[in-house]
Amino acid sequence: MLLQSTVRKPLVLLLFVLFYSTTYAQTAKQIIAAVTKKFGLVNDYSAVINMQFDIPSVNLQKIDGKVFYKKPNKFRIKTQGIVFLPKQNPYFAITALSDSNSYTAILSGEEKINNSTTTIINVIPNSEGDLILGKFWIDKKNAVVLKSQWTTKSNGTIQIENFFGTNMAYALPDKMLFTVDVTKFKVPKAVAVDINSKSSPKSSNASGVKGTGKITLNFSQYTVNKKLTDAVFDETKN
Amino acid sequence: MKALFQMTPIELIKITTKPRSYIGFLAITVIVLLIEFAFYIDGKTYLQFIMQTLEQSFTIQGNILNGNLICFIILQMLIVQMPLMVALVTGDLISGEAAGGTIRLLLTKPVSRANILMAKYLAGSIYTFLLILWLGVLALGGGYLVFGHGDLMVLKSEELVILRDGDILWRFLGAFVIAFLSLNVIATFSLMLSCFTDNSIGPIITSMSVIILFTIIGTIDIPFFDQLKPFLFTTHMIIWRNLFDNPLPKSQIITSITVLVGHIILFLSIAFYHFTRKDIQN
Repeated sequence: MLLQSTVRKPLVLLLFVLFYSTTYAQTAKQIIAAVTKKFGLVNDYSAVINMQFDIPSVNLQKIDGKVFYKKPNKFRIKTQGIVFLPKQNPYFAITALSDSNSYTAILSGEEKINNSTTTIINVIPNSEGDLILGKFWIDKKNAVVLKSQWTTKSNGTIQIENFFGTNMAYALPDKMLFTVDVTKFKVPKAVAVDINSKSSPKSSNASGVKGTGKITLNFSQYTVNKKLTDAVFDETKN
Repeated sequence: MKALFQMTPIELIKITTKPRSYIGFLAITVIVLLIEFAFYIDGKTYLQFIMQTLEQSFTIQGNILNGNLICFIILQMLIVQMPLMVALVTGDLISGEAAGGTIRLLLTKPVSRANILMAKYLAGSIYTFLLILWLGVLALGGGYLVFGHGDLMVLKSEELVILRDGDILWRFLGAFVIAFLSLNVIATFSLMLSCFTDNSIGPIITSMSVIILFTIIGTIDIPFFDQLKPFLFTTHMIIWRNLFDNPLPKSQIITSITVLVGHIILFLSIAFYHFTRKDIQN
């Protein structure tokens, strides 16, 4: 009797924990499924884009261009000048989440972002790849990701904030704000042919110092599901 | 005034008859073509090396290796050497006449000494202008021809400034004007020295030595030298690079232009003062 009681209690507790975590894991995946389903309505789109840059050691003026996307992961920004773009396609994470068996999702609480209550979901890929951990702030009511943070092997931490407006129905943001880890730019004076410049007092120890760079993408004039051809994604053609 | 306009072409012809006048043009041609060829062959590797830290975080899209970048790099490299090419010619303008024994004959003409000196100064300035023009044609024109247009990535050791294609040409024109003013300082400096001696080597070597000394002081980051730098004309000669800053440091540029013009007036005044009173003995 005593033995039965001592075994039963932890067993019930274990079953409860398993049941609880499984239930919530399913819920997390259901939330993600709603987001991917909504974004899945977009087969392709084109839009006008305006880019602004705030990158340490890089003085880059804003620029206009056109942006193209096609399912599942074709993405191209076309501009007339030099631009710095995040390494990953902005829809890289959502595309990766469309296969619910490829990751484990864990609910991690709630947070208010721009007056919207968001559910925080941590995502751990099941197989080893570039993505180590993903964290998503999801507006359940509208089934959109308001903020995401990816920790990658190759590029450190990347954060994307989405600001929605007129194209909420397609989960297409009016504005995206990328925050990327950046190593301070520094090259020898002789290599840059900058022999007469004066080094700043901090510069002698500045090599390798990390900061964060911000890239803002403002979207307008979306044209959705107009059957874009693959030719627009050909980087060799301007 | 009429005498001045008559004398200036004669002085220009004198410059063109001297083989040393072509050394500058030849040197610029060789250096510019060599740099353009090297960048044509290996420019992408060079830029990849410079950009490697940023390429870890970003994808850099656009035509980086273009005529604007090539012209900027050439200007950075050549601005140190070009004063030497100018001094080689302008340091010889008066002393060359003295060494050649033609100065007495020159001064017997019914033209004032002031006009003779002014004609020599103008001829030296035209030579300097042509040298800058040739550099512009080769560096910017050649760069556009081989590498095409594009945004300019201004390479600095600790910063990258990227200027849009449509916002660059006026900056290059301004840079060439400032480069002309800078070289004009050297021209008047060597012309002034030329008034004091009877051989060409002295003013040329002295001009070169002063430029090298000032450039070394300007390059080394020592607090004592930092106090001297604002008083050296070589410090203000590199102000053309500030035209490629964003935002434009207008007051700094205006100050440096004023200093350069001040030096031209100072050196010319000393030259006039001495030359108009000089006792010609040979």
